[in-house]
Amino acid sequence: MGAFTRAVRNLSRRKMRALLVIIALGFSMAIMVSIPAGIVANQEAAQAMTADFNSTMTTMQEQINKTATLIECQTSGQGMFSGRPFEGLQQQQTYMEESIANEIRSISGVKDVVEFLTVSSDETTSETINGPMGRNFTISRPVYTITGVTLNPSFIDDYSILPTNITAGRNLRQGDSGVVLLNSNLTAYFGVGVGDKVEMYGESFTVVGVYDEAGQGRFETRSAYVNITDAQTAAGLTGNVSRLDVYAEDVSDVDSIAEVISAAYTSLQVTTYKDRLSQLDNMQTMYTQTLTSAQATVSNTETVATQEIMIAVVATSLIVLFVMLYTVRERTKEIGTLKAIGFSNWNVMSQFMLEGMLLSLVAGVVGIAIGTVGAPLLSGILLPQISPFGSGGNSQFRPGAANTGNFGSFGILGASTVTVTPSLQTMLIAIGAAVLLGALGSLYPAWRAARTRPAEAMRYE
Amino acid sequence: MSETVLRTEKLFKTYEMGKRKVPALYDLNLQVNKGEFVAIMGPSGSGKTTLLNVLGCLDKPTSGKMILDQVDVTNLPERQLYKIRRNKIGFIFQTFNLLPYLNAAENVGLPMEYGKRSKSERRQEARRLLDLVGLAGRGEHRPQRLSAGEQQRVAIARALANDPAIILADEPTGNLDTENKFEIVKLLGNLNIERGTTIVMVTHDGHVASHSERVLFLKDGKITKEKKGLHLAKKKLACPYCGSKIQPTDERCPTCRKKLVAAEEEESI
Repeated sequence: MGAFTRAVRNLSRRKMRALLVIIALGFSMAIMVSIPAGIVANQEAAQAMTADFNSTMTTMQEQINKTATLIECQTSGQGMFSGRPFEGLQQQQTYMEESIANEIRSISGVKDVVEFLTVSSDETTSETINGPMGRNFTISRPVYTITGVTLNPSFIDDYSILPTNITAGRNLRQGDSGVVLLNSNLTAYFGVGVGDKVEMYGESFTVVGVYDEAGQGRFETRSAYVNITDAQTAAGLTGNVSRLDVYAEDVSDVDSIAEVISAAYTSLQVTTYKDRLSQLDNMQTMYTQTLTSAQATVSNTETVATQEIMIAVVATSLIVLFVMLYTVRERTKEIGTLKAIGFSNWNVMSQFMLEGMLLSLVAGVVGIAIGTVGAPLLSGILLPQISPFGSGGNSQFRPGAANTGNFGSFGILGASTVTVTPSLQTMLIAIGAAVLLGALGSLYPAWRAARTRPAEAMRYE
Repeated sequence: MSETVLRTEKLFKTYEMGKRKVPALYDLNLQVNKGEFVAIMGPSGSGKTTLLNVLGCLDKPTSGKMILDQVDVTNLPERQLYKIRRNKIGFIFQTFNLLPYLNAAENVGLPMEYGKRSKSERRQEARRLLDLVGLAGRGEHRPQRLSAGEQQRVAIARALANDPAIILADEPTGNLDTENKFEIVKLLGNLNIERGTTIVMVTHDGHVASHSERVLFLKDGKITKEKKGLHLAKKKLACPYCGSKIQPTDERCPTCRKKLVAAEEEESI
């Protein structure tokens, strides 16, 4: 039976008061626990964004370099929204005559012209996308997008016109007809595997292989590759293509070839590496803005957090102070008695310090529990959040040329799911802070208790 | 001449009420010998509580001298006084002043807590003291489970805890019914006789005071009168005049009809 037991019994004697205080203190403590976690989460989000931006930029730069001789010619409807995340969003797709390819082939300096036909299913699905900060939006998009390619072995080798990440079966090859290469999202959607038959555009195709989409966009793309003639037949677009990839013999020819094509076919959108580079520049600018905004948020977070923690600290100490002052007042006679029967000032003081510290220790544990469970919510309320869409909060990404494939896969679109988990270190610090604040708050009340005149024991009220 | 346990010389205590000075103790000289059972009577405002506060080192006199167990405690600082209170004085209060969240044994053990005894020794001693006051086996009970008389017994056991030189009792029967009142006085009397415990008891009940050896009358902060008590406990509840058997509650001897009360309450008012 020591001071500790007495402290425990005293706290449990007035359960309601102890409970209310513990809840009040607990929330202060929860703020202290969840805020550092929120800061860390924001820092991590900012770092992840930076890393994502950098790797995307590098990849794009590499691809642009690799495809320096490429001149893209597209019909309207593609381009602006042809990046992976937005694939299939365009409604008005127009096509061009296949004969244009032959005409372009005859332009001097042209090495190869690769034909593509990309068509989207008429059928659509309606999907809810998780936006940043819990905002959702619903989109309607085609069930699938089929790209028909010319299965010329040298095209396949030189220009990477087909996906490379085959996870099952085989890739398409020259002479394939009536077969399809599906991405894993689409096999999952259809519930088929290699060797099964799927019906697309009313035609039956045998699945020969499955590939994985590189990168992870917000949208689960559902795409397929077939022989271009199969695509034309199925879509009823015989003799039509949607895109031509024109390759120049030499980089120095690119500008002149592009000029000739633009002049001859005004309806085509012609882009060269220079356009792509300038697109990249634009992206770079937007990325930088977003990053700056994220960094600003992080530093703002720290300022806000410091203020909020200060408030929580002061609130905690004040709560302990008032509760302990009240307790001391209420127990004047008891304190007088203890002193009358031989307790020293220090014995009395340490008794009340112990009670205050114990109270806040329990509150600290409760607070950590609340803080851990409620950290995402609390830090969401208390701290500014990083928006992956930049300061404006609107989607401004224009992912660029379609043929360069991976351009659309911006990890950043998925970066808004930050996990806010208080670390063990934070918890231990919070417990320490709780006890310290308890001690701080009960210092004056305990001193008052110690100063109680022993003659108070004789008061008969 | 027996040993003096408590002695005061020219004790003054003055309270200041605004600009007026109110004397609570006025040139008070008192001597209590070892093994004595002294009762102090007086009307309200006579300075009883003030005297007990000063004797119990709960308050300091304005002037004068007080010697307790050969130690001049008059000017001791608080850092030494608490030890005097702990080891030399046992306090019994009118309202028992037990800690409600501790059981009887724990309450008895409180004054020993910061002493030299080990935990098990303290527990053993608490049990022994509870036996002594007739509460064997009730150590686990919290105060609210005990009757008023039992609570005061616990308080007496607590007062005995560090084997103090003197027990100071402030109206120990003030909150008790007649039956319990005499049980408690009897217990104090027995402790005095059997253990030689020195007791100073403040009361305004003449009947209770008559159980002591010596009754001092306090008026306006001074001892105005002193009477020999009947010390009924010492006489094993026999009439001091005719020797016949009496009950502790008897106000007159049933045989010889002589008064067994030391002083009428009215007398002191």
